[in-house]
Amino acid sequence: MTLGTWLALVVALVLAAETVRWLRQRALRGGRDRWRRFFKHRTTSWGVGIMAFLVILALAAPLVAPYNPNEQLGIVQLKNHAPSWTFILGTDVLSRDVWSRAVWGARVSLGIGALGALVAISLGTVVGALAGYYRRWIDPLLMRSVDVGLALPRIFILLMVVALWDGLPFAALVLAIGLTSWLGTSRLVRAEVLSLRERDFVVAARALGAGGARVIFRHVLPNAAAPIIVSAALGVGNVLLLEASLSFLGIGVAPPDPSWGNMIADGASTIYSAPWTTLFPGLAISLVVMSLNAIADGLRDALDPREEPA
Amino acid sequence: MLSAMPRRSSFIVLVILAVATLAGCERRGGCTGSNCGTLIDAAIAEPPTLLPPSTEDVVANDIGEQLFLKLADVGMSTNTVGDEDFQPLLAERWEWDGPLTLVFHLDPRARWQDGQRVSAADVGFTFDAYKDSVLGSPFRTKLRRIASVTQRDSLTAVFRFRERYPEMFYDAVYHMRVLPAHLLRSVPRDQWKTAPFGRQPVGSGPYRFVRWQSAQSIELEADSTFFLGRPGIRRLIWRFTPNLQVGVTQVIADQADVREQLVTPENVERVRAAPQLTLYPFRGNIYTYLGFNLRWSGDTSKAHPIFADREVRRALTMAVDRASLVKSALGDLGKVPPGPMSSLLWIWDSEIQQLPYDTAQAGRILNARGWRDHDGDGIRDKNGQPLTFHILVPTTSVLRRLYARLLQEQFRVIGVRAEIDELEFSVVTQRLGTGNYDTAVLSRGNDPSPGSGITQSWTRGGWGGSNFGRYYNAEFERLVDRAIAAPTKDQARGFWRGAISTINADAPAIFLYSLENIAAVHKRIDNVQIRPDSWAALLRTWRIPPDRLIDRDRVER
Amino acid sequence: MSGAAWLLRRLVASVAIIFAVVTLVFVLIHIAPGEPCPSDEPVDPTVCLELKREFGLDRPLPEQYWRYLVALTHGNLGYSFSLRRPVRDALAETIPFTLQLGAAALLLDFVLGLLLGIYQASRVNRLPDLLLGNITLFVYSLPTFWLALILLLLFAERLSWFPVGGASNPIFCPTVDSLYCVADRLWHLILPAATLGLVGAAGTARFQRAAMLDVSSQDYVRTARAKGVPERQVVLRHQFRNALLSFITRFGLAFPFLLTGAVLIETIFAWPGMGRLAFNAILARDHTLVTATALIASTVVVLGNLVADILLELADPRLRVRADVTTEIVTA
Repeated sequence: MTLGTWLALVVALVLAAETVRWLRQRALRGGRDRWRRFFKHRTTSWGVGIMAFLVILALAAPLVAPYNPNEQLGIVQLKNHAPSWTFILGTDVLSRDVWSRAVWGARVSLGIGALGALVAISLGTVVGALAGYYRRWIDPLLMRSVDVGLALPRIFILLMVVALWDGLPFAALVLAIGLTSWLGTSRLVRAEVLSLRERDFVVAARALGAGGARVIFRHVLPNAAAPIIVSAALGVGNVLLLEASLSFLGIGVAPPDPSWGNMIADGASTIYSAPWTTLFPGLAISLVVMSLNAIADGLRDALDPREEPA
Repeated sequence: MLSAMPRRSSFIVLVILAVATLAGCERRGGCTGSNCGTLIDAAIAEPPTLLPPSTEDVVANDIGEQLFLKLADVGMSTNTVGDEDFQPLLAERWEWDGPLTLVFHLDPRARWQDGQRVSAADVGFTFDAYKDSVLGSPFRTKLRRIASVTQRDSLTAVFRFRERYPEMFYDAVYHMRVLPAHLLRSVPRDQWKTAPFGRQPVGSGPYRFVRWQSAQSIELEADSTFFLGRPGIRRLIWRFTPNLQVGVTQVIADQADVREQLVTPENVERVRAAPQLTLYPFRGNIYTYLGFNLRWSGDTSKAHPIFADREVRRALTMAVDRASLVKSALGDLGKVPPGPMSSLLWIWDSEIQQLPYDTAQAGRILNARGWRDHDGDGIRDKNGQPLTFHILVPTTSVLRRLYARLLQEQFRVIGVRAEIDELEFSVVTQRLGTGNYDTAVLSRGNDPSPGSGITQSWTRGGWGGSNFGRYYNAEFERLVDRAIAAPTKDQARGFWRGAISTINADAPAIFLYSLENIAAVHKRIDNVQIRPDSWAALLRTWRIPPDRLIDRDRVER
Repeated sequence: MSGAAWLLRRLVASVAIIFAVVTLVFVLIHIAPGEPCPSDEPVDPTVCLELKREFGLDRPLPEQYWRYLVALTHGNLGYSFSLRRPVRDALAETIPFTLQLGAAALLLDFVLGLLLGIYQASRVNRLPDLLLGNITLFVYSLPTFWLALILLLLFAERLSWFPVGGASNPIFCPTVDSLYCVADRLWHLILPAATLGLVGAAGTARFQRAAMLDVSSQDYVRTARAKGVPERQVVLRHQFRNALLSFITRFGLAFPFLLTGAVLIETIFAWPGMGRLAFNAILARDHTLVTATALIASTVVVLGNLVADILLELADPRLRVRADVTTEIVTA
């Protein structure tokens, strides 16, 4: 670690902490009711803080990482070096700096998480809304398809897709993950839309002649936003875990590019002699998923005064 | 509900206690004496079948050593020339009946495990099977110099050769395991790969087959009436583990007795720290290389756009610091081979001419062949095509995957981009066979004879077999043939040197490492004889003294 | 709608779903590019053609599909070329192991999870609840394969309390034929089941806690309180019963991952179950084995959902139109 990177790291930490503190103060002092409910529990604030920190690190990767993540710094002497002042998280079996890889890996893993969840949520919302609003024959058709999709475990489908088409580019991988993750969301959205479509404001909008799409997007969905947002927060965590699993099985992000999942895979063979190579990426994944779950809890409290099974 | 819970939970506690007590009661067997013992080998990967001609699988071979006998086998010196250093097995003696005729006299005490005597008809039947093109045995080409095998009487088998060469005896005995004609005659050859016999074999060896639990283990039991001496250890179990890591952990945790190869320095350190294990180093018979495909993966009738150019291959070879790679990945447990060979082969000679490690020279050659970085993206290109290729590596080997990444970086430094395709073993084999790859990190296990392995992998005879890249050099083959036929070792050495220098200059592959083997064996086991070409060949001589028996040794079953 | 009609409709729908899944998988695996030879060794092109003809892979897709269905009705699941055995034998050997692992993991998951969740709800927002809440949050967020590696390192290698993978002791108990061997199997089962179960239990605990807290404010609970029913009874009968309903829902959703989602756990612990079989089959492009696994997996899932629905129906008809829950347990 160079002076510059230490500095950048500290700045990132401070920035994250300050952001959370500022948001919290704004919320608790005079903000709307929902913000106050959001920040009620300490864990949520910690969750927001950790996510902010990790996102800042990922965005500022070139500044925070002292080495090129793929560079093998000295395959004979610097292999599996324990954490030290030069390499704060140690080096891996190919003498690459674990900290640099973790930071650049954050870009990949968080990126896949966000994009995958975005695809999943979008698709799920559209399908669920259509099924819930139009009912008639669309609803059974779509929902039976969802049942079919849910009948097979996600990882099975993903394995088939990724393993059968080898040489899949990054974008296709994200798409594949997203396309297998939307099913649960669609059911959730459908349930929401079903219960909302008979409400007064929707009936009124229809009576005034608003078309289906307009009614869905301007009136129904905004009120169904709560579970969708919660689902999105959880979805990012799920996609992240999924990507890690795929990379661990050897069919995720291709070498030499780092992702938290394939860092664990690379380090698994030396877990006994060099545990730091698997420990830190694993902790990173756990931290992200934890924070997202905490945030989801907070969102649930904030956006959803009406009780709903978690 | 809440009040019912304490009662329910105490019941659960009782059940757990009962189970724990039961688990604590070990099975105590009653076996005492010097022929008890159980040896568990932490094996990687389950074999596809146990029928010898149908597979080259390493575990199948190890188990085959216990179940089936050859006519004779090499001794500890692994000398393959002549017949003095060979140990009689099924054949108790032999003689030459003319320059091209070899006569074996079978030991009359030899029996199949179903009671029938081993006869010369079995030997003839075995030869026909191994040479049968329908069966397609990988050992077929190794037997090409033998014209026929016939019986003179029930205990005499006659081998006739096409030509004279120093390793005639070796070829006659080493490759074939004698099969029971009376049990296999009725099975059509094209069904041998999937025949039930492969999952329940009957042989003539020191051990007999007991059971095969799919995906878990194979168990063998000693034949106390084995005519060459009762095996010391009563029971052998090959236990399948998903990878090397778990296998080593099992041996360290005293849940297995043998791990015949530790591969990495980390594993050796772990075993060194385990008090109940002893380390046995022995010469390795495996070498690994990055093979270039000389055909184009898109259309195998055309030459490869990058690798068909000999100069480019030479440049790529010079760009790799093989010595550092070995030091990093293997420490002292590997050596840079002077050619396509392992340290087991007597032709190993570090004086043989090889390409040096010289990145500057590599860069100059690539420039000279038109591969320059015209568009400034860090990757060389020519006529718009970037110097990019894929490295194929099976997911099963941690070491090879590591090497693929090391190589990727070595190439990146000189402006060559390599992408790694890690695929499942059977898919890799498939793609190799059809030529659908650019480069691949491959391992070959050597016979103790340089002739058979090198011919298999690097000559035209290996096209459609192990010579996946379809390398061919007439001069190389001429030298190899003369080396194999040379009457004395000194003469042969000269030819081998020439041959290896030729292939090194052509650079059809980058020869990466030759593995030095270290086996971890439980220290209670005595007389651990490990023959370098096949570690399990002498398992029947291993012994466990009666005063060192542990629980799993005493089981009666 | 009457109960019988509803049940019939659900059964028909279930069969249709299974059918659709098998078709989907069948099509997927046949349209994948670069279809290799149905063999696990390099073969030259003529032998390859021969093999393809033998397995009927050179016929048009609809015909292959029809022949497969016909074979299915005869109970013939096909021949696995990567394992060199009939599919039925290969599967039959793995199913007991999968069931054992699944049952043990589910048991740990729900027993521990329920207990924790109920305990947390009863001490809501006090120290035990907060502490347990953070612990469950952490455990729930762990990647299961990472946890598996750590547990294996700690308990099997360092402490030697448990075996390093495998399903049984090959010497004493190659088959389970005595009480001792049952105990041996359990001993081998503990680590893999614990890995799956602990993460699952954390999720169940969080879920159950939330469900019980939600329920406590529903009208009928408030009414019961207002009526003067003793608090303890209110808690026990109403809270728990309704939380139980949500639990049943979750139970039905937990099936999918146990069958083939436990791939990573089975690989790391060398547990010879269906997950590992399916994974290897997919990689080897063993059509028959993959389709058969999909068939079984989807059947179990659909059955699980059906059972869950029936239980819900019996327990509380009011919940027939329920908002489906989406806490997806991502374990792999």
